[in-house]
Amino acid sequence: MSDKKENPGQDSVNVSRRHFIGTTAVAGLAVGVAACNDKSAAPAASAGSSAHAGADVGKYEVAPGQLDEYYSFSSGGHSGEMRIYGLPSGRLFKRIPVFNMDCLVGWGITNESKKIIGTKADGSLKYHTGDTHHVHPSYKDGTYDGRYIFVNDKIHGRLARIRMDTMETDKITELPLVQGFHGVFPDKRDPVDQAINYTTRVFCGAEFSIPLDNNGKNMNDTKDYRSIFSCVDAETMAVRWQVLIDGNCDLVATSYDGKLACTNQYNTENGAHYEDMMTVEQDACLFFNVARIEEAVKAGKFKTYGGSKVPVVDGTKASNADPKTALTCYVPIPKNPHGVNASPDGKYYACSGKLSPTASLIEHALVLKWFDGELKNPRDAVVAEPEIGLGPLHTGFDGRGNAYTTLFLDSQIVKWNVEAAIKSYKGDKSAKPVVDRIDVQYQPGHGFTSMGETKDADGKYFLSDNKFSKDRFLPVGPLHPETAQLIDISGDKMKLVADHAVYSEPHDSIIIPRSLVRTRQVYDINDFPNAVKDAKDCRVERKGKKVTVYLTSQAPTFGLREWTVKRGDEVTIILTNLDKVEDLTHGFAIPKYDIQFIVNPQETKSVTFIADKPGVYWCYCTNFCHALHLEMRSRMLVEA
Amino acid sequence: MPSSIRCVLSTLWATIVFTLASAASPIYAAGSGTYEAELPPQLATTPDMCSLLPCAEVFPGAGHFSQRKGQPPYVEAYDNDTPQKKLLGYVMLSTDITDTPAYSGKPVVTLIGMDTRGRFTGLKVLKHSEPILLLGIPESALINFNKQYVGKSVTDTIEVGPSRPDENVVGVDAISGATVTVISQNQVITTSGAAVARQTGIIAPTVREPARFAVAGKTYDWSQLVGMGAVQRLIVKPEQVGLPHSSEPFIELWFGDLNQPDVGRSLLGVNGFETLRSRLKEGENAIFVIKTAGVESFKGSGFVRGGIFDRVQVKQGADSFTFRDLDSYNLYGLEAAGAPRYMESAIFVIRSKAFSAAYPWRFAFLGNRVDEATGHRSFAVFESKYWLPASMLEGGRPKVDEPDAPWVRVWKSQALKIVLFSLLLVAVAVVYAFRERLTRMATHKNKWPVNIFKYSFWGISIGLVGFGLMAQPSITQVLTWFHSLLFQWTWSLFLSDPFVFLFWIFIIVTTFLFGRGLFCGWMCPFGSLSEAIYKVARMVGLKRFQTALPQKWHDRLKWLKYIIFFGLLTVSMFSMGLAEKLAEVEPFKTTFLVGISNRAWPYGLFVAFLLGLSIFIERPFCKYLCPLGASLAIPSTFRWYGLKRKQDCNACHACAVGCGAQAIDEDGRIDHRECLHCLDCMILYSDTGGCPPLARERKRREKDGLEMTPIGDNGYFIPLYPATVADQIMPKAVKGPDPRMPTDQTLPAHKHDVGFVEWVLLELRDHLWPWSKDGWRSQRPLQIAGISLALAVTIAWLMTAMGSLSSGAIIGWWFGWSVYEVLIRLSGRRYVKDGPWWRDHYRVAGVMDMLSYVAFKNLLIGAALFLVLKALGLFIP
Repeated sequence: MSDKKENPGQDSVNVSRRHFIGTTAVAGLAVGVAACNDKSAAPAASAGSSAHAGADVGKYEVAPGQLDEYYSFSSGGHSGEMRIYGLPSGRLFKRIPVFNMDCLVGWGITNESKKIIGTKADGSLKYHTGDTHHVHPSYKDGTYDGRYIFVNDKIHGRLARIRMDTMETDKITELPLVQGFHGVFPDKRDPVDQAINYTTRVFCGAEFSIPLDNNGKNMNDTKDYRSIFSCVDAETMAVRWQVLIDGNCDLVATSYDGKLACTNQYNTENGAHYEDMMTVEQDACLFFNVARIEEAVKAGKFKTYGGSKVPVVDGTKASNADPKTALTCYVPIPKNPHGVNASPDGKYYACSGKLSPTASLIEHALVLKWFDGELKNPRDAVVAEPEIGLGPLHTGFDGRGNAYTTLFLDSQIVKWNVEAAIKSYKGDKSAKPVVDRIDVQYQPGHGFTSMGETKDADGKYFLSDNKFSKDRFLPVGPLHPETAQLIDISGDKMKLVADHAVYSEPHDSIIIPRSLVRTRQVYDINDFPNAVKDAKDCRVERKGKKVTVYLTSQAPTFGLREWTVKRGDEVTIILTNLDKVEDLTHGFAIPKYDIQFIVNPQETKSVTFIADKPGVYWCYCTNFCHALHLEMRSRMLVEA
Repeated sequence: MPSSIRCVLSTLWATIVFTLASAASPIYAAGSGTYEAELPPQLATTPDMCSLLPCAEVFPGAGHFSQRKGQPPYVEAYDNDTPQKKLLGYVMLSTDITDTPAYSGKPVVTLIGMDTRGRFTGLKVLKHSEPILLLGIPESALINFNKQYVGKSVTDTIEVGPSRPDENVVGVDAISGATVTVISQNQVITTSGAAVARQTGIIAPTVREPARFAVAGKTYDWSQLVGMGAVQRLIVKPEQVGLPHSSEPFIELWFGDLNQPDVGRSLLGVNGFETLRSRLKEGENAIFVIKTAGVESFKGSGFVRGGIFDRVQVKQGADSFTFRDLDSYNLYGLEAAGAPRYMESAIFVIRSKAFSAAYPWRFAFLGNRVDEATGHRSFAVFESKYWLPASMLEGGRPKVDEPDAPWVRVWKSQALKIVLFSLLLVAVAVVYAFRERLTRMATHKNKWPVNIFKYSFWGISIGLVGFGLMAQPSITQVLTWFHSLLFQWTWSLFLSDPFVFLFWIFIIVTTFLFGRGLFCGWMCPFGSLSEAIYKVARMVGLKRFQTALPQKWHDRLKWLKYIIFFGLLTVSMFSMGLAEKLAEVEPFKTTFLVGISNRAWPYGLFVAFLLGLSIFIERPFCKYLCPLGASLAIPSTFRWYGLKRKQDCNACHACAVGCGAQAIDEDGRIDHRECLHCLDCMILYSDTGGCPPLARERKRREKDGLEMTPIGDNGYFIPLYPATVADQIMPKAVKGPDPRMPTDQTLPAHKHDVGFVEWVLLELRDHLWPWSKDGWRSQRPLQIAGISLALAVTIAWLMTAMGSLSSGAIIGWWFGWSVYEVLIRLSGRRYVKDGPWWRDHYRVAGVMDMLSYVAFKNLLIGAALFLVLKALGLFIP
């Protein structure tokens, strides 16, 4: 490794890595090799421990009584959840169940959560799995407004919304016609109405192409497989419209002026096998003209497919040849790009090559120019394409004109200067885009800067979510944690300041200063129409075989000491936590009935089940609440 | 004793006490005396207060009491304990709410009942430390005083004194002689009632005009914020909560306003400030608190369970605001440059409309003070003031009418009397200052030029000052002064009785100027009464029964009063209460404050005996018993201006024979500690008909037909040239001692012809260094003992300074040292100054002179040392 540091340009291509990405990649990589050789003057990755904070590490510790400076909201990958960490400490504060079941809070157990997740006709959950990748909060005036966070489910093609005042999932929408919903990004303002300077739409990119009528017919006509780009209403969470495109979608970005949304495309070939997906030299970054699409929808220029009522407009190349009326613009980008990110100044999009060692910089104004018919070739919107290293994926910005791109293959973060890259692209040989490099351990996937996706990028931290941790932590069996490495980017040199172990598998996070988050301390009891507002109202009501138990919890008692139902009854328990003390959460578990959930202060939840097992069942408080917590129980008596 | 054993013993003791206490429930036994009554140790903390206290006694008709609630705490009184129970009112413990001290410096612990309309239903004193109520005034007086409140409403302005309907003031009658106690009690009752009434909505909360901020758009760093008072500090030292002294504070907090945009943005940053504002509703205010040092937490953990922050409060005027968890946000960080690192932080939100950021407020840290000796925990509140700078408020700071302190109200309400009384005291001093004009006008046959004034002042002091204003000074005040000087000086305590306060200023000033005789002989109500009786008796023909003790016996018995004084002083060091009881040797309380008819017969008999004796002996009490006189006599040794004497006095006993105070000795010297300034001798001094030496000279001149020149300052005729004054002195007097000074004049050799700086240094050495070469030669063992004692005292002082010795111990050491110092000085430096201290009029010291000197000097040094220690924060009594 150390020899590589001497000159990353010369032997950065290493045989084993080539093997890893397969022989077909060699052609593409050859471009990189040549380019790398050119930039021999580029700074070497900071050598050894000098890249680490060393004795300075204490500066990034959060002493008892102190609070973290930042929140980090992170996806949980195929755990189906979302997580909240503190930075710089890396402490895990909360795991928010979204698409998964969570028996701690009762997500997927309570009636309320089931309704949000989605149920079959019999009331059971439609899905138990999910795969969250990208988390993005709602915007106002170009920065986070603390209302919502949107997160995708790649497995089942669902979009979930988390309200940031309670940090709980409040809506989940299933997108029609898509599989492999990967990239998600809220818009930052309305393209037309300037008064709407906040998020009203959420854009979703589908990665996997499928037949439009995915009904088991024509399954082998892979040429007819389609990917769909979707727009969801941020408030109602209804799908507003969809766009039929050529190629696939991957990650999504939106412009600061609200006019464009875009997605990088790594499979413009529409290949069904991975080698098929790497055949062309250039894939694309696909831009959507939001205003024009919505006009088209309004004008009825759409179709519907596969039983979905959502209007689908035609965004294919063929149908959008005239830029002046085009809904979409395909900007060619080298080789299977992954990751597209808008710069905080709103001027550029960085779209990384993945299989090309380059990052392409697309100028927002030029794309608009193309839509106006004033730019001949979409490729002319690319204003820089610096060579930065092998396997570039995601790019973050520091607000000071620098971009930070994760290099999956090089296991590095590369810092490059946007203006220098543009100059270099224009032919200025003296311009050196790459400013600094730092090794990370190992194989970074997503990387992001503090507030880097807002106009308030503060250039303090970069977090590298590495896909492999290998030897970085105490071994815990074959499944390793991932490494989230914190890098201080406030100086000229990047400094690695912390290794945080994270459970698999975060794909994306955002770093928000603590002051932008305004959570509730307790719930408002009036938010729950079924709340049992007084312990005196505790009772059992029977309508035929349907029995409703109205319960309250107030440390250290439940509102009823015991209640009786009959075997075969459909029992609904409604539990309101009357305690108003912050953090005084109660739990409620029924043995043998597979019931467990919690009620936070002033919160109401309910569960419904069939009392099919006669006997005495001690319902007890599971969430430690009081000195008499263990005594906080109630008996459910099921008569035979 | 090893600490482990001590610990075991104290645990055992606590167990015994607790067992005994638990055996009798309710623990508080009604009806017993409440002086220094033992209160249940868990009283301050137990939620079920009424299980320990007779709550029903102050709330007749109540059958059930809730647990303590609210802040400050109270309990709810219900008719019964059924679910349909009806709220009747509230019961509160005064010390839960206010620690207003009474005369003793300790609070009168009072249980107070109040109905839902704010009318007091009953009051019960649980414990008091008021010595005046021990013997002087029956405790029933306080009970009767409290009874006056029953039925009166907390919504009224209740004051001690007459009702003033036009000013909406409801009066309650004071207890004669215990004004300070009842003023304090009134304060306690009204404050407690109002505090609970505010919480329960009986008194509408004050609504203060919300602040309008003047926003300059500036950003301040931490030191600027501190400099302009926008951030304040509250520091509590371990000593203040009964822990051993330490350089580390118990807790150090910084706090400040977060509502003024410039301050808020400087502290929280623009984002943080906006976030905070977005969480606050109209009219809500926020403050921040950080802890920068100390072992204590300002949050504690109470808020985790109950949601209430029980260690911090914000107070504004009479309102206090407490916080629950939902009123608290995380303080993420302080953006102001230079802000200190902190271990604990919070933002608290004051939601009440009663609070306004424009008005001054106090941040209070509530702690427990643990008494080192007893382990008793008592509630302690530490406050720090806050008021946004005027420049940050639109229109500057609003005008705030703070209610006058109780003593100010007293001074205001008694203003006229106070002015008249002051004029009287000034008049006495002025008349006395011009005494020589009067004495020269008077002769031994006609003393009216002097007596007209003296008798008038007697009349005024007996009638108006004694019986009227009840401003008879007492030895108890001296003891209180003494303790205050050493421990804690509370101006408001002394100021709450304006007449006694002014009287004491007069006494102190005149004692230093002239000696105690002016007060004792001219202004003391009891002394005046005593001598007036003697004079009247003589006038009405009882002169033949009147007598004086033989001088020999007088000179023995006069020490009795000093013994009484020192005895009382010593006892007071151990028990102020006992000392106050013993101070009943003074008949003042019975005579003036309470009245003979109001007291048990032995007291009346004592007064009758003393006053009856006054018919036959002049001022028997003053001469032999009065500890107050003794206490004043000690500094009188060093009065600046004494009465005059001439050389002839050593041979002529004319004055001595006529001296009612028997203060003139064989050598014609006046004992200024005993002299009561009747001025008879001063009349003779210039009386050419009464003074034998003058009469002789007068007769000689008459015979020789010489000019009759005026009497000079020296008490002789101005000599006619070529004769000299010496010629007027009788031969037998020439060789005798000089009676002009109480003892023979001397001048320490080292004080001859020295420069100013050296003089000051020598002066200091004289006062601080009792040893001398002469003493060393003659009294070596004593000197050695003295040096070792001095060493011990120094160590004791150091230990006190380090916080490892109680102030009581240091006083003991100091006392012992003083005794030795007297002995050492008598053996080597047997001289004291006479007259003004800045002169070098030295004279040979008698034993009493030296005692007076050392006692007085060491009292001042001790007080100064205590003050220095306190100022340095090294010593908390």
